[in-house]
Amino acid sequence: MIIELGHFAVITALILAAVGIASPIVGLKRREAVWVEVGRQAVTLNFVLISIGMLAMEYSYLTQDYSVKYVYATSNSKLPIFYKVAGLWGGHEGSLLLWSWILSFFCMLAARIHWKTQPAVMPYLIAMQSTVMSGFLLLILFLSNPFERIFPIPLDGRDLNPLLQDPAMVMHPPFLYLGYVGLSIPFSFAMAALFSGRLGEEWIKATQRWTLMAWLCLTIGILMGGYWAYYELGWGGYWGWDPVENAAFMPWLVATAFLHSVMVQETRKMFKVWNLFLIILAFSLSLIGTFLVRSGILSSVHSFAADPGRGVFILGFLSFMLLLSFGTLIFRSAKLKSQIEMDSVISREAIFLFNNLFFLVAMVTVFIGTLYPLLTEALQFKKVSVGPPYYNTVFMPVALGLVFLMGIGPYIPWRKASIQSLKGLFLIPGLIALGGLAFFLIAGIRHSYALAGLTVVCFVAAVIFLDFAKLSVFWAKREQVSSLQGFLTAYKKNPRRLAGILTHIGVLVMIVGIIFSTIYQTEKVLIMKPGEETGLGAYRIKLIRLYGAEGVNWEGQEALFNVYKGETLLTQLRPQKRFYTVSQTPTTETAIHQIYTGHIFLTIPEVAPDGSWARVRALHNPLVLWVWYGGGIMGIGVILNILRGSRMKLSALHPEPALSEAPVSLPRPAREEVLHRSNRWQAFLNAVWPGRKEV
Amino acid sequence: MAETKSPSVGIRSWQVVLLAVIFGLIVLFYKGLWGNPSYIPPVLVGTAAPEITAPDLYQPKEVSLSQFRGKVVVLNFWASWCQECKLEHQNLLAVQKHFAQNPNFVMLGVNYQDKEDLARQYLQEHGNNFNHIRDAKGRISIDYGVYGVPETFVIDQNGVIRHKLIGPIMGDNYTFLIEQMVEPLLNGTATAS
Repeated sequence: MIIELGHFAVITALILAAVGIASPIVGLKRREAVWVEVGRQAVTLNFVLISIGMLAMEYSYLTQDYSVKYVYATSNSKLPIFYKVAGLWGGHEGSLLLWSWILSFFCMLAARIHWKTQPAVMPYLIAMQSTVMSGFLLLILFLSNPFERIFPIPLDGRDLNPLLQDPAMVMHPPFLYLGYVGLSIPFSFAMAALFSGRLGEEWIKATQRWTLMAWLCLTIGILMGGYWAYYELGWGGYWGWDPVENAAFMPWLVATAFLHSVMVQETRKMFKVWNLFLIILAFSLSLIGTFLVRSGILSSVHSFAADPGRGVFILGFLSFMLLLSFGTLIFRSAKLKSQIEMDSVISREAIFLFNNLFFLVAMVTVFIGTLYPLLTEALQFKKVSVGPPYYNTVFMPVALGLVFLMGIGPYIPWRKASIQSLKGLFLIPGLIALGGLAFFLIAGIRHSYALAGLTVVCFVAAVIFLDFAKLSVFWAKREQVSSLQGFLTAYKKNPRRLAGILTHIGVLVMIVGIIFSTIYQTEKVLIMKPGEETGLGAYRIKLIRLYGAEGVNWEGQEALFNVYKGETLLTQLRPQKRFYTVSQTPTTETAIHQIYTGHIFLTIPEVAPDGSWARVRALHNPLVLWVWYGGGIMGIGVILNILRGSRMKLSALHPEPALSEAPVSLPRPAREEVLHRSNRWQAFLNAVWPGRKEV
Repeated sequence: MAETKSPSVGIRSWQVVLLAVIFGLIVLFYKGLWGNPSYIPPVLVGTAAPEITAPDLYQPKEVSLSQFRGKVVVLNFWASWCQECKLEHQNLLAVQKHFAQNPNFVMLGVNYQDKEDLARQYLQEHGNNFNHIRDAKGRISIDYGVYGVPETFVIDQNGVIRHKLIGPIMGDNYTFLIEQMVEPLLNGTATAS
């Protein structure tokens, strides 16, 4: 009965979604607020109803009700309870339900948060969100219904895909969806701006935190997926340019571009159409990603069932959304002319422009690579699959360019920078980078991308460090406190900027991790018998013995390895080859030993039935953890940015003065006084900061 | 500073491009829906042979096809569970023997989806005089569009597939392989097929 209740709740939710589209539009036409209020209640109720649907499904999982077809397909009585709960998003139907649930939650939240502050936008926002909602609910109810029953009732479930039986994998889809769906709110705001003609900076201010939040979740989702691939799939790598990975990466790239370019609109009122375009593109790519993943039109390691009927529906919905959003943009864009044009190529807005172009090029690169097999097939050419070499070749230079821009962008003044100031800003970091290059050459690094990458990282790190030093010393002098306190004062004066810089530091850390763990990876694949050993870079591994092992829902073999450095035994590792009995699926369990921030990584993809030998894949991945440490730092930066508090609200209340009159907040005498008091180093530090706005 | 063009100038090029891209995508996706994502195209004779990197059946080392560049490679896909492979096996040994003196000839067996010990047992039983690599997961076979074993490919000095033989190397196939494929390639007298 419970499952029927859930089913009924979701059916009602679909009807309410229709109300959510219609009533705000009626409200707009008739200029009666009460209709919009009806829409708001509809989206709130929608969240309650879909929650009931979710709870009904979870109830069926926990009570092991295998008469529900979807539960039967993704769960099993032997499954640990944690994975029973997560079984809901272990397949197609449940994932869509989760998608819709998150959408209803965000929509409810947005309608509550912005109800008072953005009344004019609300009808559009509710109607737009309800449109997306209806699409997904139609899909769920008519083509991928998780509430369906089967008869006769099976005695036990078919089990959750063993590869998904992993904590990172359990959290990976919800975070990705939080990211995907989170982008729908800025998207709806942008659409509302287009429809209502209120095309100022309002919508950007209102959606900044939403975008940051969505970006954060998307980043976490991608990094978790990478970590899962790293140790669960036994790749030894965290990124394989798989179409499904790309589907998440593309909206991430565009959302990142958007987060940067909104700053230009905020400060300089430029890039208006561009920003609308970017956010529409970001959410469209989320939908395209969902389509690519859910329709099964691309071959991928993520095996989702292909079903053209379902695909046609999603495609129809996708086409509708693409034409509606981009079409509106096209017809409304004439209204949007930037009043200000770029003054100089050497200015922060120009750097942002390049930043955006690079991100877009990166996105298009991934897009083409992902769809290329589809294109060649459609054109009746030979079907070609595009592999990592393509992406690495095209992506590396773009990534390098982006990191370089990341180093100079935040420090170049708006409007126009003089050559003199550039010299002051970047001369020392440039010299440090050259020193770094020499050091890396002496250290024996010969790989060109590694050299270029590390040199750029050096440069950017130096720029950031010098900036921090300057700021700290400046505020320490001014407030007569220690440098550390000076730094904290600087942070308090402009939390947003420093949070952004922290995110950039995370990127640097991640890049170092990527460079070392891919270019300086040592890999050995070989057959080993017990007693044999092999070298692995500076380490040695020795296979001690092979023996049978079993768990609750699997059986298999385990290998015991000794890991040595020189003659010292570092650790013992026990990789496994598992066989999940219910689903008849083999998996490879990785054994990892951490050395500093790198890994010794062992898998046994194949073991002789009599246990006389094993095929061993041994990897040494130096600094691999930096990839996720970097991700963590990026995350903290963004969280600080989201939490930065009242400053934004203030700026929303007091519109910024026209830029030409924007005051340098620090009164001149004070500045000169500081100059006067300081030593030469100080003078240098201050001289390279002509007119910094936030001081 | 501000542009003098009035906003109602008409359709601008980026708008047309954007619309074209959207329609193109929709058409592409629609066509893609009816495609088969697991369809793998047949390897066409006259195209570059896909690169292989695979473990050797006997030695703990990786073998790659590119290391044989400049040589004529006969690539034979087989498995211990395959009955027809047994039929052709003596002929394969004979082909290898025939060209054994030529340093530019390489015969390479690809052991397809097989148990390693069974594969070794098979070779011990039926004899062996050339190297074999393992394709336990069938990846190489997918790259080469192999439908079933045995299949044999002839790859020339430039790494281009010159011929594909489906089924056992017996009778006409055998003489064709030696006299009309491998020998002309080794002598440099082959004409492009």
